[in-house]
Amino acid sequence: MTGIIGVVILTFREVWAKKITLGLFIVCTLLWLLMAFALNLDIVEGSISGIRIFGQTADTPTETHVDDAGNAVQELLSLETFVTTVESVVAGLAYWVATLLGLFAVSALMPSVLERGHVDLLFSKPLHRLTVLGGHVAGVASVALVLSTYLLGMVFLVISLKTGFWNVNFLLSIPIVVTMMLVMYGTMTLVAIRTESTALSLIVSYGLIVASLVFLAHDQLIPQINPPWRSVFVALYHILPNFAEVTEPVAKLARGDDVTRWYPFYSSVGFGVVMYGLASLSLLRRDL
Amino acid sequence: MEPGSTSPAVRVSGLTKSFSRGLRRTPVLALNAVDLEVATGEVFGLLGPNGAGKTTLLKILLGLVRPSAGQASLLGVPADSPRARARIGYLPENHRFPAFLTATQMLDIYGRLAGVDSASRRRRIPELLELVSMAKWADTRIRQFSKGMMQRVGIAQALMNDPEIVFLDEPTDGVDPVGRKDIRNIVVELRRQGKTIFLNSHLLSEIERVCTRVAIMNEGHVVRDGSVDALTQVESGYRITSTRVSDPARLGLVVPDAPNPDSSTFTYLAQNVGRDDLNGIVDQLRRDGVLIEAIEPVRQTLEDYFIEVVGREAKP
Repeated sequence: MTGIIGVVILTFREVWAKKITLGLFIVCTLLWLLMAFALNLDIVEGSISGIRIFGQTADTPTETHVDDAGNAVQELLSLETFVTTVESVVAGLAYWVATLLGLFAVSALMPSVLERGHVDLLFSKPLHRLTVLGGHVAGVASVALVLSTYLLGMVFLVISLKTGFWNVNFLLSIPIVVTMMLVMYGTMTLVAIRTESTALSLIVSYGLIVASLVFLAHDQLIPQINPPWRSVFVALYHILPNFAEVTEPVAKLARGDDVTRWYPFYSSVGFGVVMYGLASLSLLRRDL
Repeated sequence: MEPGSTSPAVRVSGLTKSFSRGLRRTPVLALNAVDLEVATGEVFGLLGPNGAGKTTLLKILLGLVRPSAGQASLLGVPADSPRARARIGYLPENHRFPAFLTATQMLDIYGRLAGVDSASRRRRIPELLELVSMAKWADTRIRQFSKGMMQRVGIAQALMNDPEIVFLDEPTDGVDPVGRKDIRNIVVELRRQGKTIFLNSHLLSEIERVCTRVAIMNEGHVVRDGSVDALTQVESGYRITSTRVSDPARLGLVVPDAPNPDSSTFTYLAQNVGRDDLNGIVDQLRRDGVLIEAIEPVRQTLEDYFIEVVGREAKP
């Protein structure tokens, strides 16, 4: 156990030693500080009667309801709608920005582990290769967890304290952000073990994220594609991670809505498991 | 080897490793049926030109590379087992410790990786930093260290788990003469403690000074194996430096090099002669009026021997 904790600590410290991680931390801090000090809300009887940003009054937010007579009625935005909307936007943004920047921050980790002079030090210790890999991934996961908990947790705290409305569902987006980050890191790990290339591992994982944007419109695209290619497209949709589509469950969870479709998340996790499986096999078989 | 058993520290038998290189997957034989044993307590030096297979052999012993055929064991335990690696320490060539860590933090993390418990780490870190003369740099970041300092903390790292076998790959690489002497002293101290040391170095003079036994590898084979004294022993002879000898052949003296015309002294070799013969030659030289400046026994250096062996092996 001492050994695997050593790998986790080493990985954790390596990530924190990178300037981009520090940059992410500063961006997270600025975001919640902005919410804490620049955003002022006037709340009257559970509704938002006014918003001031940096002391400037913004348009009073309203929402439209249909009354019993069928007429559209403009009302002040309810506190609950305001909080859940802001939090779902933050969760969706954090999901994308934290994952993209986080992947960039950790992209050089595995190739650096496999570099001569480092690989010999690590793998000549009395640890099984899979223990080293497991500890490494756990180290990356712990950094992702710390950063997302810091960002989303502080935003949650600030908004909840300002409004008095505690939308605990918002915090459920944290495990999804961390899990999806690890799914994409699985791809990076496999590519890095096979090629030892930081650039290639970034290109492949970002490429999969871009491809997932195309899969976002799979319902509209599938009827437009010719039959032989249609099955290829459908197969890819099910095989590759549906990173973009997972934004919806993240935002819905943050809003407190029921998530009706978990499939993109589950299929992505399945993809991640396969990537880590292949990465483990490659690591076991290769000469270091 | 479990404690108390008598297995050698390192045993390699029929070890073969072939790689495939390039797009055509051309097979390259890095090790060819290597047999080798290193007894416990030995300071063993592995020599060989670049590409001889030293690194591959070392990597197989450390479980980093899988052999194509043959067996390798450390203290009686298969070398690819984490159990074997629990009893070894390793300083790789061109090691890269995380530069953002201090010496103490680095030793703590690598001690953890080696399975050293918290209390032992707290005790051993200052001890080892003292041993490698780095105690006053304990809280300095590694990025500020010179090459020599890096090697010293690297050795401390290799000793964190109090290993029975220490593998040192080019430990004096890039280290100044004073640092080299310090590292040599550490090796001598480890030897005194009864540890087995497996040294891989290009600095033959270093190997000659500290190793009890050496093996020379070339093209994937162990071509020579023995004690430094046995390998460097030559037939008895003496080198005589004196004024000109009019007819050296009459006394059985050989002129090794063309004499320097500007020099007042000349060097002659008295080959295959014992002490009594030498005194007879000296008496004759004195009778001939030759002035003797120096007489020294001829001894081959390990470097001479290495070049001779590797050169001979390379010839078709």
